[in-house]
Amino acid sequence: MRGTSRLLRAAGAVWWRDFVAWRKFWRSSILLNFGEPLTNLLALGVGLGAYVAVMQGVSFLQFIAPGLLAVTAMNAVTFDAGFDTYDKLNSSGVYAAMLTSPLTVPEIVFGEYLWEATRAILYGAVFFVVILAFGLVHSWWSLLLPVPLILFGVLFTAPALYVAAVARTHEQLFYYFSLVITPMFMFSGVFFPVAHLPWIVQDIIYILPLYHGVLLTRAMVLGQMTPSIVWQFVWLIVYAAVLAYLPVRALARRLTT
Amino acid sequence: MVAVAPDLDLVRPPASPEEIIVARGLEKTYADVQAVRGVDFTIRRGECFAFLGPNGAGKSSTIRMLSCLSPLSGGELTVLGHKADIDERRIKERLGIVSQDDNVDPDLSLMENLLVYARYFSMPAEEARQHADELLTFMQLEGRSKAAVRELSGGMRRRLVIARALMHHPDILVLDEPTTGLDPQARLLVWGAVQQLKAQGVTIVLTTHYMDEAERLADRLVVMDHGRILQEDAPRPLIERTVGREAVEIWHRGGDDAPFIAAAGDALLLSDRHGDTLVLYAREPGRVGQAFALSGLAPERMLVRPTNLEDVFLTLTGRDLRE
Repeated sequence: MRGTSRLLRAAGAVWWRDFVAWRKFWRSSILLNFGEPLTNLLALGVGLGAYVAVMQGVSFLQFIAPGLLAVTAMNAVTFDAGFDTYDKLNSSGVYAAMLTSPLTVPEIVFGEYLWEATRAILYGAVFFVVILAFGLVHSWWSLLLPVPLILFGVLFTAPALYVAAVARTHEQLFYYFSLVITPMFMFSGVFFPVAHLPWIVQDIIYILPLYHGVLLTRAMVLGQMTPSIVWQFVWLIVYAAVLAYLPVRALARRLTT
Repeated sequence: MVAVAPDLDLVRPPASPEEIIVARGLEKTYADVQAVRGVDFTIRRGECFAFLGPNGAGKSSTIRMLSCLSPLSGGELTVLGHKADIDERRIKERLGIVSQDDNVDPDLSLMENLLVYARYFSMPAEEARQHADELLTFMQLEGRSKAAVRELSGGMRRRLVIARALMHHPDILVLDEPTTGLDPQARLLVWGAVQQLKAQGVTIVLTTHYMDEAERLADRLVVMDHGRILQEDAPRPLIERTVGREAVEIWHRGGDDAPFIAAAGDALLLSDRHGDTLVLYAREPGRVGQAFALSGLAPERMLVRPTNLEDVFLTLTGRDLRE
């Protein structure tokens, strides 16, 4: 019990540091994380949607909106955890300073999960308000959206922290973004159902965490919750649990030599 | 009867509470470099203890280990009665660490830097705010509490790092080259702060390669080179033991040193030559000058001055460049 309260207090202090820093730039930060998904929603949903009339029984705009919410959260978490962590390690010395206090590397990592989960909910919520205004939200199940977003805060933060810890230059971070995150964005069923793809491609897509996140957010926003949707939850939980410890060793190696 | 396994900590006599940091056979090895090769030292409560040495001597590795920022490669290290490789957290709670790089948080104001850091120690918010105000005044940063860290000069950043290290009322303040890169005014301010803290009973551990700094601040010091401790003592006894009380610098181009050394006789403790300068270290002041007068020796140019730590340092570690 004492260990748990100690961990929460320590992680809370790391969360607080990130929050105080974010508070200064929150307007530009929200604007930056918001521009791209909104552009996608309008250009593709409205523009392309004029030609693609119906997808899985709903309008194209309606089809892509919930998935873009998941993508917004994924990107908000990934880019912040990637770039910010890289700077905290390599230029500002924020982590080095934390380690002169009783905070430990696992506590710092857990604190970053708390913060990125907060960001995922926050940026997801802003996007939610937009699709709500477009009349694209159809179910009270949407109130459960924070659950997958919190899981995003762990499962997308963990690899980003790891990459930031092992990257030697800023450019190396972009390998992760352009070779992992962007393809995942394109192929995770945000823009089209994957059921008609060759089975081997479907199998690959099935192991992408974003795919399950997209199915989940779409089911919640459209009110299409079926018992089998539980599997999407299970996948996200397994991903979060398996990845959570990944960055601890890499960061410890960088910080305590 | 149940056999009780002997507890090693009970077998060993407990360290005196006055011995706040005890290192025995301390070693640090990086991939292919042995930075610290088995050093022993004992730091007592309330003193200012300095590690001197050229770049690469192993000073920073040593104090990173005693700050629990770097795992030991060998030996034993006890800080405040806790083993450095086991009770990391308990030690860090009582340690104020000022590292070489001014790692203040660039995204936060001065006040936020202090308050956020206090949270890392679970300090109550009200107490933290009050203490932060006191410390900003102590380091002469008052009136800038809302300023962004990016606007600060190097000297102000260093002072902020020191203020931050004092937020949780540490028993020991560890300073790694605290005045490197500071202008003379800022150095004086840092020295003054260190002396005040020492007067309040804070134990000070510092590394430096400024001899005047060590001479002014340290009660005791060690000179390190190549990962080993070469000498340990209070500054004045160390100087007199190693290089005597007076240095006579004789400048003569291409001349022969022998007549000067012969004339100095048993007044001479040590001689050293670099470039065109011959340095004679004398046990007692005035004796070498008298000897030269008696022998009718008149060097082209001669400077007589008291010995200092720099003489000790150069005598012990040599005059070759390290980097």
